[in-house]
Amino acid sequence: MELYEGGCDLKLLETLEGHGDRVWSLAWNPATGASGTPLVFASCSGDKTVRIWEHTPSPSATWTCKAILEDTHTRTVRSCAWSPSGKLLATASFDATTAIWENVGGDYECVSTLEGHENEVKSVSWNSSGTLLATCGRDKSVWIWEMQPGNEFECVSVLQGHTQDVKMVQWHPTTDVLFSCSYDNTIKVWADDDDDWQCVQTLGEPNNGHSSTVWALSFNASGDKMVTCSDDLTLKIWETDNVQMHSGDGYAPWRHICTLTGYHDRTIFSVHWSSEGIIASGAADDAIRFFVGNKDGLVDGPTYKLLLKKEKAHDMDINSVQWSPGEKRLLASASDDGVIKIWELVSSSTGNGY
Amino acid sequence: MEDIFESSLHLEETHFEEGYSDGYKHGLVIGKEEAQQVGLRVGFEAGEELGFYRGCIEVWNFAIRVDQTRFSDRIQKMIKQMEELVEKYPVFDPESESVQELMEALRLKFRAISATLGMKLEYNGYPKMGQDPKEMGF
Repeated sequence: MELYEGGCDLKLLETLEGHGDRVWSLAWNPATGASGTPLVFASCSGDKTVRIWEHTPSPSATWTCKAILEDTHTRTVRSCAWSPSGKLLATASFDATTAIWENVGGDYECVSTLEGHENEVKSVSWNSSGTLLATCGRDKSVWIWEMQPGNEFECVSVLQGHTQDVKMVQWHPTTDVLFSCSYDNTIKVWADDDDDWQCVQTLGEPNNGHSSTVWALSFNASGDKMVTCSDDLTLKIWETDNVQMHSGDGYAPWRHICTLTGYHDRTIFSVHWSSEGIIASGAADDAIRFFVGNKDGLVDGPTYKLLLKKEKAHDMDINSVQWSPGEKRLLASASDDGVIKIWELVSSSTGNGY
Repeated sequence: MEDIFESSLHLEETHFEEGYSDGYKHGLVIGKEEAQQVGLRVGFEAGEELGFYRGCIEVWNFAIRVDQTRFSDRIQKMIKQMEELVEKYPVFDPESESVQELMEALRLKFRAISATLGMKLEYNGYPKMGQDPKEMGF
């Protein structure tokens, strides 16, 4: 895929300070960035707060912190996720709770608190219809919650299976199949049969899986491929049969198709697949890398190559990289250095996004 | 003549066998006492936990009868499932392979139900979910 003729660069648009501790995670509000709505994202930190940032378009074209969600979590906020409608924000904390916030006229109110995990909650994810929420944590369990009227949540299932700390949960972009990855080196796929949730597949070393902690996973836009990143210094691409997935059985097996090795020399903490097909990774060596696949009629399937490496993107480990919604190729990155950076992938020749 | 020397030649062996036999008899007695204590304790703990869940289920069922509308279909189904698990627990067959599995399933169901009901009830007797069984000392 030739993005720009003459290559591309990662241009730093802005550096956002404010958090008093490492920034763990970011989430873009999916209902922003289109038809005149300015882009909004949330960031969460070791300082126990969540900050909401909004883009002010021209002339100043800058980012301001519109709200600070504090005095609720009593420990680090590790992960945050917007509901698909953009109306609710879920925040997962080391204090073993997950808080649900609603934007009420510019102010964010905590409308619900989900308790149940024994200890640190590491990740939270909404399904594509916004009816289900999944959380996971150090207690090795994955919880599925269903939203009820009045912002109440009912626990649908508590899933045991991972043998270690579960680092991330992520719903499939089009079907209600849940994915989790863990310190136990595996990725598990969970599907339900009328409210009875089971682990339908485990992707581990025997399936060409990772040989160390799997930190994150991300789907491509069509949902037939998934990329995972690990402490084993590789990215792995997995594929499924999308037709079978939507055929009503609800689930089709995943298989490994490619391992990207030799590009990272420190743990990769975050990976995100853009809607256009560019994979961004954030690692412990403070660098952000971009990969693209090319399918040009190769017998063995697509190959992936390194598009760009941005060294010293931050002063410390990068914990999260997230592509923004909307048309521009914007990327937000969060780091142990307490700072958030907004980048744009631009053409080397024009210095712009076109 | 041979017999006199026989016994002194095999002295070590004789002493060994005597000592072994003494130790074995002693071990049988001590072992049985210890096993009985462990069995009583483990049995008591399992019974106490099972009883706790039974009690919770009874209270919940009563509450459902009082006002069914306050409990969603899903919660009622879960409570029923938990009830089935309690019934299935082999109280008279401690060596059954399903005891560990059933107890784990009960604990999970209990956590899910109390999380949905918003109750902060916890059974203090059992080890926490995240704890490695090898860390538990008896």
